[in-house]
Amino acid sequence: MAVNYDPAIIGRVFETTDPVPVDAAAIAKFTETIGDTNPLHTDPEAARKGPYGGLTAPPSFAVTFRNGRHFFEHVPRFGRAGFDAGKDVEFVAPIRPGDSITLSSHVKEIYEKTGRSGSMVFVVIRSTLTNQRGEVIAHVDHRFMNRT
Amino acid sequence: MSQETILYENVNIGDALGPSEMYLSRDQVRAYAKAMGMWVARFTDDVEARKEGLPGMITPGNMSLAILSKLVTDWIGSGKAKMTRLGTTYRQPVLPDHTIVLQGFITHKNDQERTVDVDVWIESEDAERLVIGTATVHFPK
Repeated sequence: MAVNYDPAIIGRVFETTDPVPVDAAAIAKFTETIGDTNPLHTDPEAARKGPYGGLTAPPSFAVTFRNGRHFFEHVPRFGRAGFDAGKDVEFVAPIRPGDSITLSSHVKEIYEKTGRSGSMVFVVIRSTLTNQRGEVIAHVDHRFMNRT
Repeated sequence: MSQETILYENVNIGDALGPSEMYLSRDQVRAYAKAMGMWVARFTDDVEARKEGLPGMITPGNMSLAILSKLVTDWIGSGKAKMTRLGTTYRQPVLPDHTIVLQGFITHKNDQERTVDVDVWIESEDAERLVIGTATVHFPK
C-alpha cells in the first residue's frame, strides 16, 4: 500500500508550546516515582561537587514535557488508531531547577513497514526542547504506529 | 547506583548492566501517572483499561523509558560519563503488580569518539522482552 500524505508537512514546525518552568520539587517528584536515588539528581550538596556543578534532572525527565493540546491534531493518521511504539531521545544538555523548557514539534518522517501482523505506517514526530536561553536541551522523536 | 566511577578504558564489549529486579506496583505506576499529568484510565484503572482492549492497567511508555534510562545512569554512577542517546521500542505492555527484570550489555566501543553503545531491555517474569532499547554513553577525557 502506498502511503499518501502531503510531503510539505515534513519538517514544518506545527506547534511551539509556552515555556514550562522546572523547579527542584518537580525533579524530586520525578526521581521519587521512578526510584532514582542518584545524588546528582537528589542531593544539591553532592551535585555541586559533581560534573554539572549543581542539581540536574535525570536525562529521561526530558520526555515528561507534554506537547500542547493541539499536538495530536497534527499527527497524520493512517488506518486504525495509532499508538506509541517507542521513542528516540538525544540528550544534549542537562535540565536544571530554574529552567523554562519550550517544545517545538514537527513531523520528521513517515514510513511503512510490513510485519507478520500486516502492514504498519510509522509517523515520527520530533519535539525539540530548548531552555530559556534558547539552548537545545534534547530532541525527542515520538514514534507512532498505525495498523493499516 | 554504582559508587565507582566507570572509566572508558575499563569497559569491554559484552559487559553486563544488571540484571536488576524491580517490583512495579500499581501504586507506583499511578503515582507516576499522577505526577506526570498522565492520569488516564489505561494507566490507572484495570476495569477501564480492559474496556480499551488491554489486559489491565499498563505502565506508561515514558515510565518504561525512565526505568531503562536509570539502568544506564546507575551504571554510569556520578562520574563525568553521560548518556547522550536512548531509543526504546514498546513491544508488549508492561503490567504493574509484577516483577520486571532490567538488563543490558555493551555492544560497541568507539575509541575515537570515546562512546559505548548499550543494548537494554525490560523483561517479564517469563523472560519475555517487553521493552527493548539502545543507549549511547559518552566518556569525556
